Amino acid sequence: MCKQRMCSRISQASARLFGLALLVAASLACVTLSACAHTSDLSSEQISVYSREDGSGTRGAFAELLGLETEMNGKTVDTITPRAVVTNSTAVMMTSVASDPAAIGYISYGSLNDMVKALEIDGVSPTSESIKDKSYPIFRAFSLVTNEPVDPAADSDGEGGSHPTTAADAPDAADTSEPADDKRALIQDFMRFVASQQGQGIIEENRFVGSVEDPQTYTHASNQAKPAGKLVIAGSSSVAGVMEKLAEAYEQENPDVSLEIQQSDSTTGIAMVEAGTCDIGMTSRNLTETETASGMFATPLAFDGIAVIVSPTFPLDGLTSQEVRDIFSAETTTFSELPSWSQAETKED
Amino acid sequence: MRSSHAKETFARICFTLAAALSIVAVALICIFLFANGIPAMAEIGLPEFLLGHTWKPSGDEFGIFPMIIGSIYVTAGAIIIGVPTGILTAIFLSRFASSGVARLLRPGIELLAGIPSVVYGFFALMVIVPIIRTTLPGNGLSLLAAALILGIMILPTIITVSKNALDAVPKSYYESALALGATHERAVFRVMVPAAFSGIMAAVVLGIGRALGETMAVVMVAGNQPLIPESIFDGVRTLTANIVLEMGYAADLHREALIATGVVLFVFIMLISLLFAAIKKRGQNS
Repeated sequence: MCKQRMCSRISQASARLFGLALLVAASLACVTLSACAHTSDLSSEQISVYSREDGSGTRGAFAELLGLETEMNGKTVDTITPRAVVTNSTAVMMTSVASDPAAIGYISYGSLNDMVKALEIDGVSPTSESIKDKSYPIFRAFSLVTNEPVDPAADSDGEGGSHPTTAADAPDAADTSEPADDKRALIQDFMRFVASQQGQGIIEENRFVGSVEDPQTYTHASNQAKPAGKLVIAGSSSVAGVMEKLAEAYEQENPDVSLEIQQSDSTTGIAMVEAGTCDIGMTSRNLTETETASGMFATPLAFDGIAVIVSPTFPLDGLTSQEVRDIFSAETTTFSELPSWSQAETKED
Repeated sequence: MRSSHAKETFARICFTLAAALSIVAVALICIFLFANGIPAMAEIGLPEFLLGHTWKPSGDEFGIFPMIIGSIYVTAGAIIIGVPTGILTAIFLSRFASSGVARLLRPGIELLAGIPSVVYGFFALMVIVPIIRTTLPGNGLSLLAAALILGIMILPTIITVSKNALDAVPKSYYESALALGATHERAVFRVMVPAAFSGIMAAVVLGIGRALGETMAVVMVAGNQPLIPESIFDGVRTLTANIVLEMGYAADLHREALIATGVVLFVFIMLISLLFAAIKKRGQNS
């Protein structure tokens, strides 16, 4: 009896050992195989194209700026290959591209870091300067959405104030006016801050590019009451990061104002403005026709470059926009077909 | 007397409300889905919607056939990987494992059930996808990667439910088999497992439901191309992935089409629940 138990113990132990050995062998095999595969040549490999989902602001801007568009059912659609891997998150896009030597994708310039390499397009690498002077060809606009037109240039001294409803024109009436007018004045004042030197400075600190050519300094005339109240700002998560910084600075200037920022996405933000559950929407895409028809107005906030990214081990530093276009429309499917690639190879020889 | 009567009534109301809450939630979800989804289906046209091969929302092409096939493929892959592993583990835990091994395995399986799906997704993205990319054709973001990670994710459901089914088989079955001269293995595989068959099938059906409904982990590793995959190394987009990928920027008919995708998914899950109920009923009858 005792012997039997011993035996079964031993057999169990050996079975466990065997299992462990199998596991080690399997993982070793994986490692060696992967080491072999790394040395293989990229030029004959299929390019893995990574894209954002249909409807995304980044994708729309990327396709439009590279001319990857065509007509379908009377609407403009992009011609990005349906074989492209689709992801709806910048993090997943960067992780996948960083670890795939044959990958090419695109992300917002504001999210770019050392994990991936940004390609030069037509010899221009994406930097704040090249996006600002528009020499870098791929960029898009971030906008703020309101349910009535706002003129951020209208200044509180009344110079640009042709609207009789703005608080700027009627500072004395501010006390007696309707709450809706107060809110309108606050939105107007916040927009003025965003377009001011301070606001545009914050936008540039966050690696976006300001939308105002010659920003004014944001100040209040001494005889005028500082704005007070509460605003809810909701929408695109691409815009929310910089918006939080803007809100913080604005609240410092105007301690009686509280701004609440809710991150979701462009569509939700615009829908909330329409429903009246928020005051300002943030969007990284253009308004649709239905949204414009229902009375929404977009005011440009900033420009964001779109970086074409590859894995850090990728041998080339740049491509022409024609080559990027061909890769994303799947007219080019291997690296050896690219003119830049063969040029680099002959240079090496 | 009166106070105890009042207490009784109060308790009854509490319990009724609690029970009603889940029913109300299901009813509201049904109403929301069908009220928003059916008009979109009507506008697109049911055959074009269900059987169309092109999904191009910006061009008003809403064909979810590749996604239906994608969901079926990924679920089938997960079942192929998860069901044999899960059932064998359940048999092992129920009838073979020494108490020491079981003590080690059981918390492990419980932990597996508690890991959030986004963590599974990141694990698959960082580990499984690079291994597939470097050893097999394609870029790793594939049907295979999604099936592998889903196969692991459905393990806890399958193991727990089928182990409970095995444990519920009366001990006398096993002892009778031994008394008739069967070995331990024979008694387990020829008597215990068949006796627990309906419970094990229920586990499989629950696993299918879990695999079909899983979103986050799949979105991260499946590649999400709206095409019917030609091999297991091609990318695939499931119904759930289609909804979660595009909801953020969708507007108008596109948004409604995504809700209609949810209706299709809902119908699938409903069919699976019915199947589950049928299997359970059969198990009770026999």
